Parts: sequence; C-alpha cells; structure tokens
Amino acid sequence: MDKKILLVDDAAFMRMMLKSSLAKSGYENILEAADGEIACTVYQEEKPDLVIMDITMPNKTGIEALRDIKAMDPNAKIVMCSAMGQEALVVEAIKLGALDFIVKPFKPERILQTVSKILG
Amino acid sequence: MSLKNIDELNSLQMDVLTELGNIGSGNAATSLSNLVGKEIIINVPKVKILGFNEAVDFVGGPENLVVGVLIKLLGDIEGLILYIFEKNFVSTILNTFFGKDFDINIKLDDMDESTLKEIGNIMASSYVNAIGSMTDLFIDISVPSICVDMAGAILSVPAIEFAKLGNKVLFIDDSFSIGEDIIKSKMILVPEMDSLYLLFKKLGVDV
Repeated sequence: MDKKILLVDDAAFMRMMLKSSLAKSGYENILEAADGEIACTVYQEEKPDLVIMDITMPNKTGIEALRDIKAMDPNAKIVMCSAMGQEALVVEAIKLGALDFIVKPFKPERILQTVSKILG
Repeated sequence: MSLKNIDELNSLQMDVLTELGNIGSGNAATSLSNLVGKEIIINVPKVKILGFNEAVDFVGGPENLVVGVLIKLLGDIEGLILYIFEKNFVSTILNTFFGKDFDINIKLDDMDESTLKEIGNIMASSYVNAIGSMTDLFIDISVPSICVDMAGAILSVPAIEFAKLGNKVLFIDDSFSIGEDIIKSKMILVPEMDSLYLLFKKLGVDV
C-alpha cells in the first residue's frame, strides 16, 4: 500500500514493533520520528496520511506535537499511542483532534484495525 | 496535619500502600503479558518500607550488577520510581524479543536499552494509571533513563531523595511466572510526602 504513515516514539523498540506489525499488513511506506519536534518537521516535509504518536517524549511531547501539527494542517490524521491512559489525557488528546487513543501495550490487531479504519 | 516522613505511616496507611502495590503489580503483569505475548502470572507482591541499606541487600547486595530504569512522577503526585531488573528478567525479555542471550558484563546495545526503558515506562504507567483512576489525580511520568551498574551505585540515585523522607522508601518486590520460569523485578517508589498526604486524603484515609 502506498499510504504514508509516520511513527513517533522516543523508544526505538516501540517504533520497530509498530513498523513490523504494519509491514505484515502491507503498510511499507513508514517514516519515523523520535520526538515531537522531529515529528512536526517530518510532517511539514512529508505530509503523511496518518501519524501514530506517543505522548511522553523528550523535546516536545505528543500532546504538544498534536496541537502543532493540527495547527499546520487541520485535516491531519493522528492517533495517539501511549502507556499513559489516564482519562484526562485521553480527553485532552481527543479535544485537540486525535482520532483515537490506544493504550500501550496493545495487540497488533488493535493498531491494524484503527489504521485500516482511518486509511480506508 | 501533614506527613513528615514515611516512618510515620500507621498500619491502615501501610495497608493502603500495600493494596496500591498489589493493584499496580497486577496491572503491570497484564501489561507485560500483552507486550511479550505470553501468559504471565503475578505472584503476590511483597510491599515493604525499607531503609537504603536494606533496599540494597534486597536487590542482591551493593555489588550485584543490575539494570536500573528511573522514571520521575510529575503532576498531582510527585516523586520517582526506580525499577531494578536483575539478570534473569533482562535475559527473558531480550530472549523473547530478539532471541538473544544476555550477558550483564557486556554493554547493552541501543535497541536493548530502548526495550528495557519502554518496559519500565509501561510498567510504571500501569501503577500511575491505577492510582489515577482510583483517586482522580493526574500523574505524568518523565521519559525513562537507564543504567547498568552495581546495585549500590544505582540505588544511590534515589538515596538523595531517601534522605529527605527519613531514610525509608516503599519497596515492591514482584515475581512473575512465565510458564515454568520465574522472573523478578523490584520497584522502589519514593513519593514526595505532600503527594502521599494528598493520595491518602483522596482515598479517604485519615492523615
């Protein structure tokens, strides 16, 4: 599939797991960013079809990056994926325009269902 | 009235912390199970209040080489969590994900470190999410940092915080069964006393 997906997580391990799950379902055009600051730069340059973003990251958090990317592109499709599943955070992310919030650790099927639903 | 040090906790307050330890450990076991894709059973965690020297002995003595993952708590509850992963825990994890054996005398590579930090992150979040949902408090966590060193050296990091709290900390000894293997992790929780006071108030416990 030619859809471009940007994975944002400071944990290389988590990016590797996500990339591997996505590749098994045919999503091979994968970009990576290790923090929210890089995510914003990559988004501006590459305009991915979907962003999957962690929250707790150095330099710029996922919530800050969500806000900034949505300001750049109100149609940006962003899914939050974090170990921090507290209600206040989920509500804040959805209010800022995140399409979904997946709590880690997740089963690969959960991510793939979400990606498939959003990208069609 | 406020709590000045962790030695002042009465038996009810200790029970509360023990129960939070049990709930958090249960959630952490579920998270770990989902991550490694294997059934993990948590054995009853041991929750204790320990002094620095006792904590060092509990993790195998000051010269025992271990992996430490440190996470700061921020927001309504402040403090820090230090995970101590001993050799068999790290071996099991790295073998599960990468099929590799672990030699604690050899430097961890970037992916190994990333994996262990993420596990610390997910396990700490299990506790934080549990406390948050029970108390309606918001607790954020920092990006984890990792170190492989002797237990005495690693524990000296929170020891500075110990000193502010009357030299004792909350120590949670977790033992997980994966098939016939038993792996252990130890968590040291160093809460700010004002945060502990708030936690008890939110749970309706007299302070």
